[in-house]
Amino acid sequence: MSRRLAAAFWFVVPFVGLVVIWAAIVALTGVDRRVFPQVTDVARAFADMWASGELATHVGASLQRIAIGVVAALVTAIPFGFALGISRWAAAFFSPLLRFSVALAGIAWIPLATLWFGTGEQAVIFIVWNAMFFALTYNAMLGVQRIPTELLRAARSLGTTRLRMFSDVMLPGALPSIVTGLRVGLGYGWRGLVAAEIIATNAGIGYSIFLAQRFFRTDVIITGMIIIGVLWLIVDRVLLAPLERRTVERWGMKAVVS
Amino acid sequence: MKTLEISGLHKQFVDSYTDEVVTAVGDVSFAVEQGEFISVLGPSGCGKTTVLNIVAGFEKQTDGSVLVGGREISGPSPERGVVFQSFALFPWKTVLGNVVFGLRMRGVPRQEREPIARQYLDLVGLEGFERKFPHELSGGMQQRLGVARVLANEPEVMLMDEPFASVDAQTRRKLQEDLTGIFESKRPTVFFVTHDVDEAVFLSDRVVVLSSRPSQVNEIVTVPLERPRDWRSVLDDPDFRHTVTHITDLLSGDESRVVQADLDSA
Repeated sequence: MSRRLAAAFWFVVPFVGLVVIWAAIVALTGVDRRVFPQVTDVARAFADMWASGELATHVGASLQRIAIGVVAALVTAIPFGFALGISRWAAAFFSPLLRFSVALAGIAWIPLATLWFGTGEQAVIFIVWNAMFFALTYNAMLGVQRIPTELLRAARSLGTTRLRMFSDVMLPGALPSIVTGLRVGLGYGWRGLVAAEIIATNAGIGYSIFLAQRFFRTDVIITGMIIIGVLWLIVDRVLLAPLERRTVERWGMKAVVS
Repeated sequence: MKTLEISGLHKQFVDSYTDEVVTAVGDVSFAVEQGEFISVLGPSGCGKTTVLNIVAGFEKQTDGSVLVGGREISGPSPERGVVFQSFALFPWKTVLGNVVFGLRMRGVPRQEREPIARQYLDLVGLEGFERKFPHELSGGMQQRLGVARVLANEPEVMLMDEPFASVDAQTRRKLQEDLTGIFESKRPTVFFVTHDVDEAVFLSDRVVVLSSRPSQVNEIVTVPLERPRDWRSVLDDPDFRHTVTHITDLLSGDESRVVQADLDSA
């Protein structure tokens, strides 16, 4: 327990350092606080947003969009990635397209998404899905391709039918890579979400930032930025890290870094 | 009764790098009796693993036939379980989960699986490790698990592909003795591929000595050792030394022929 506390402490220290330097610079340079707000300004903005319930609305809206986007990406990308992992022909055919699309994934689709879906919920979710899809597909494909041939052979000669090879061998076998894909993909999806909320109509953290920009509320903008970062850390630590610990690490398989 | 009958086995493949047609297995025929331990021995690259892969159903022969229980084989099947050199255990399954796997795949009722699995874990000396994951076991223990996983399926024949080649020498001796013990108590039919002459003689009832590529059966040597066997007494046994010497001569004679052929062609 004390080790975990120590770990938590050393995790927080750099942030404290950052805040101290920030406060010192603003105080010493006497920069216009409308241009670069003091720590206390941001804290006040945060308190106001918290008290008014605005914060909960924005966070709720953003989390809901990312959740739907993630589920949509998982449901579509894993089967597609598996198909590519199993068929050498499909992998050869789609690989160039995948590589091409990775650079374009997410943000570059915002203009088209707006034209197709209008401004609002659907377009934002489309961007989140799109931002994640290619990274997840690619990693699911790699995961299947990297399952040792002998493991597949062992399963076959233990009586595994072709259908059950998917659920009982390929899915767990590819999981380290899928977890990596999820981690990378969620990072893309998160950025895509914030950018895409510029076209959101009523709520969302990205939306609140873009709205604050119109009123020159730098304190609100920075509050929003901090919340985005903190939410990402929470998702990573509370969802992804335990998932990795319980599966990949417990099984002694290494998470694939691609 | 013959459990496994291999006749006129021939395997060619096209080297994807040079586009040359390579003959991996020239003409191999032999039969394995039920409850017999047979080793296939040969110089490295002689295609002995290819023979095993064909019997396992992982590869298709170019010519010849493989019969198990009188029926032509088609594809991999639990009647021909394989123990791999690399263990090939499922890392996401516990020790128990690995042994239960085959039973589950074959549709053995849930309540029967665990008692069967435990029985085989006891047999290989892994009782008490049921909840561990494979990576938490030593190499020797992992391969015991590999054996238990196959035997739990009660195969017609257990195929073993250099199963002890990747464990250290001392553990290997122990595993060989334990395998002999398991064989003597359960009498499974075993098809064992190795390049280690001592190992083949110690374990086997008969040793199929293959020539170098394209492989043919050079001689089938019957091992005149009593069972039960253990290394201590076998090493003192003149019959063991004679058999080992004889097989070593067969292999080196083969080698000198190859060298001679190379010289002739030069």
